[in-house]
Amino acid sequence: MSSLKQPARRRDFLLGSAAGAASLMVGAAAAAETVAAAAAPTPPATTPTDTSARVELYGTEHPGADFMVDVLKTLDFEYVCANPGSSFRALHESLVNYGGNRQPELLTCCHEESSVAMAHGYAKIEGKPLLVMAHGTVGLQHASMAIYNAYADRVPVYILLGNIQDATWRRGDVEWAHSVQDAAAMVRDYVKWDDNPVSLAHFAESAVRAYKVALTPPYEPVVLVADAVLQEEPMSEQDRLGARIPKLTIPTPPAGDSAAVAEAARLLVNAQHPLIICGRSARTPAGIDLVVQLAEALQAPVQDRHFRMNFPTRHPLAGGSVADADLILALEVNDLWMATHTQTPVNRLGMESQSVMQRGAKVISIHSGDLYGKSNYQDFGRYSEVDLSIAADAEATLPALIEACRRLIGSRRTGALNARGAQLAAASRRRRADDVELAAAGWDASPISTARVSMELWNQIQHEDWSLVSETVPFFSGWPLRLWDMSRSYHYLGGHGGYGVGYGAPAAVGAALANRKHGRLTVNIQCDGDLNYAPAVLWTAAHHRIPILNIMHNNRAYHQELMYLTDMAARSNRGIDTARIGTGLYDPNIDYATLAKAYGVFSIGPISDAADLGPAIKRAIAVVKRGEPALIDVVTQPR
Amino acid sequence: MRRLRLIALGLLLAGVAGAQEPAGDPRAGEARYLAVGCYECHGTVGQGGSGMRVSPLPLPWVGFELYVRRPAGQMPAFSDKVLSAASLADIYAYLQSLPRERKANEIALLQELGSK
Repeated sequence: MSSLKQPARRRDFLLGSAAGAASLMVGAAAAAETVAAAAAPTPPATTPTDTSARVELYGTEHPGADFMVDVLKTLDFEYVCANPGSSFRALHESLVNYGGNRQPELLTCCHEESSVAMAHGYAKIEGKPLLVMAHGTVGLQHASMAIYNAYADRVPVYILLGNIQDATWRRGDVEWAHSVQDAAAMVRDYVKWDDNPVSLAHFAESAVRAYKVALTPPYEPVVLVADAVLQEEPMSEQDRLGARIPKLTIPTPPAGDSAAVAEAARLLVNAQHPLIICGRSARTPAGIDLVVQLAEALQAPVQDRHFRMNFPTRHPLAGGSVADADLILALEVNDLWMATHTQTPVNRLGMESQSVMQRGAKVISIHSGDLYGKSNYQDFGRYSEVDLSIAADAEATLPALIEACRRLIGSRRTGALNARGAQLAAASRRRRADDVELAAAGWDASPISTARVSMELWNQIQHEDWSLVSETVPFFSGWPLRLWDMSRSYHYLGGHGGYGVGYGAPAAVGAALANRKHGRLTVNIQCDGDLNYAPAVLWTAAHHRIPILNIMHNNRAYHQELMYLTDMAARSNRGIDTARIGTGLYDPNIDYATLAKAYGVFSIGPISDAADLGPAIKRAIAVVKRGEPALIDVVTQPR
Repeated sequence: MRRLRLIALGLLLAGVAGAQEPAGDPRAGEARYLAVGCYECHGTVGQGGSGMRVSPLPLPWVGFELYVRRPAGQMPAFSDKVLSAASLADIYAYLQSLPRERKANEIALLQELGSK
C-alpha cells in the first residue's frame, strides 16, 4: 500500500502508528503480524520496535463510485449485467455494498457479448435499458458485436465502461494494456452517444443525458466511461460542492408534420389497393393496436417484416402483396428496397433485383431513421425512392393518421372497403390453410421437422401466457409465425438487428429475465451454431434462476453457410459434396444436453424421434414453471 | 407462383417425357441427395425448407432434369459435371419412392389449426 503514496492526489490516507492502527490493518501485512505474534511472544529482530514508525492505511469510506451509484439509481435500472473487470471494481463493490445489490441487481455474465445481448433481449420486452458494465479495452472488444446488433436493431442499451484515463495512475502492464486514450472510440460508429466524464458532476450530467439519448427514437445504445480514479477516490471538494443529479425527462417521440399526415391520409383513403408494411413500427406494446386500427379503418393488408411484433399473425388483414398495391405505407421499414424488389440469387453478388411494384404505385414512408444516421456502417440499406417521406416516429404519428383517415372515410365507401376486406380475409385463410398443409410434410421425419417442433411446442404453451424470444425467420422457416396465434408485443421480438451470430442465446436469457416478473413462460428456439459462441449464458440463467425453455434447433451445421458453400461449388462446377467442410458441426456431434447439465441447467436429449418430443416438452415446462431454465436438445431438419 | 410455373412446365413436358424416364436406384439416390446437398434446402424427405417442397415431385423426369440443370430463382444450377445423369436419375428415383405424406387433417395437432 505504502508504495502507492502520491500525496498530490485525492487520497484518503489514514495515518497512524503500527499499534494504533492494528485493528484496521488488512490483507497480507495484518496476517503476517498475527502469525508472528502467536509464534513468538518476543518480537523478532526484524520486527519494528520503534513505535514512531508509521504505516499508511489506505481507505476510502465514500468513494466516488458511491455517488455514481446514487446517480444510476435515479435511472431505475433493474439489473446490471457484467463480467467482472478491474477498471470498474470500485463501482462493482459500491453497487453491491453501498447500493445493496438492488435496483440494479448485479448479474454475473461470462462474456461481455452475453452482457450486452442480454440487455438487448431485456429491452425488447421491457422497453427500457439494462445497465451493462464492461472493462477497458478488452471488455468492450468482447462486447462490440453485441453492441452493433443492438444498434442495427434500434434497441437502447446502456454501457458503463471502466478505464484508467490518467496514465500516471496505471500500475503494471495489465492496466496499461487495458487502458485507452479514447475508450468509446472503437464502438463510436455504432452507438448513438458517448462521453468520458472528468469529474463526478460531469458523470452525473452525462449519465442522465445518456439515458435520455438512448430512449429518444430511434432508440440506440450509448456508452458512458466511468473513470477508475473517479470511481475509487473520494469525491473532490469541488465535486462535493457542485455535484447534483439532474432530473431526467424523456422526450416525447417526434410525430409527423400535420400537413404531411393529412396528405398521407388522403393518399391512403383514395388508393384502390393500399398496403401497409411494418418494420419496427410497434415501438411499444400499444403500437400493435394502432396498426390494427389503421388497417381496419382502411381495410388494408399488413405485411409484417417481423423485426418486431407489429401485427397479429391471425388477423384477417395479415398478408398482402407489394405487386398488388397501388400505394404502400412503410412504417419504420429500414429495408424498404428489399421489401419492394426481387432478390438477386444468393450465389451472386451485385444488385440485379427488379422492382415488383406496379408502375405508378406510390410509397409513403414514416421512419424515425430519417432523423438519425451514421456513415461507416451500412445497415441503412439501399436508398429508397418514396413519394412522401415523413421523418418521424411511426407509432407517435399513427394516432393522427388514423384519425385523419377515419374523417376522410366517414360513412362513404363502407361497402367497397368491406368488400376489399372480405377478399383479403379470404386470401389470408387460403394462405393459412396452405401453411397448415405444408406443416404436415415430413411430420414423422427424423431429424425432426421444424414444423413438427413448432406444433409440439404450440400444443403445450398455447394456453399459457407465453413469450417466444427467438428469431424464427429464416432459421426455423418462420413456422411459429405461420402457425401460432401471436398478438401481443412479447409473443415475438424479431432478430439480431445486425445479424451477428451469438445473439440468440443471451438475448433470450435477457428477455426471459424481463418476462420473469410478469410470470410469462419464455420459449427460446435456440440455433446450435449460435449457442456455441458463448454457451455459458446458460450458467447465468441457472445461477440467477431465470426460467426459460430452450429448444435446440440442432441441425449440426452453420446451415446458412453450408447452403452458400454448396451454391459456390455448384457455380464453380466442382466438388458439391465438400460443402460440409468448415460448415458442419458433427464428428463428434455436440451433446447439448450434457453441455446444459454442466452449467446446472435441466436438460433432455438428444431427441431424434418426433414421438419423444411432446413428453420431453411437458417435463421441461414443469421445470421452467418452478423458476428454472431447461433445455431440450432436438435434432432437427436444416430449416 | 414459381411453383405454378413449374407445374405448368411439367405438364407441358409430361407428354413427351413418360417414355424417357430413367430407371434410378432409390437407395443410391438417397445417399446422393444427402451428399450433394439437396436436403439443405428441400429437407431430408423433400418436405421443403429454404427451398420448395419436392415430395411429391411436382415435375416429371424431363422437367425435373431441366430444372436441376437450368433452374430459376434462388437455386444454383447443377451441371452434369458435378452431378451425373445417373446420380440425378437415382435422386429422382429416391424422391419418387418416398411414401405419401399424411394430410394435415389426418394429424391431430394440425386438425385444430385447420379449423381456425
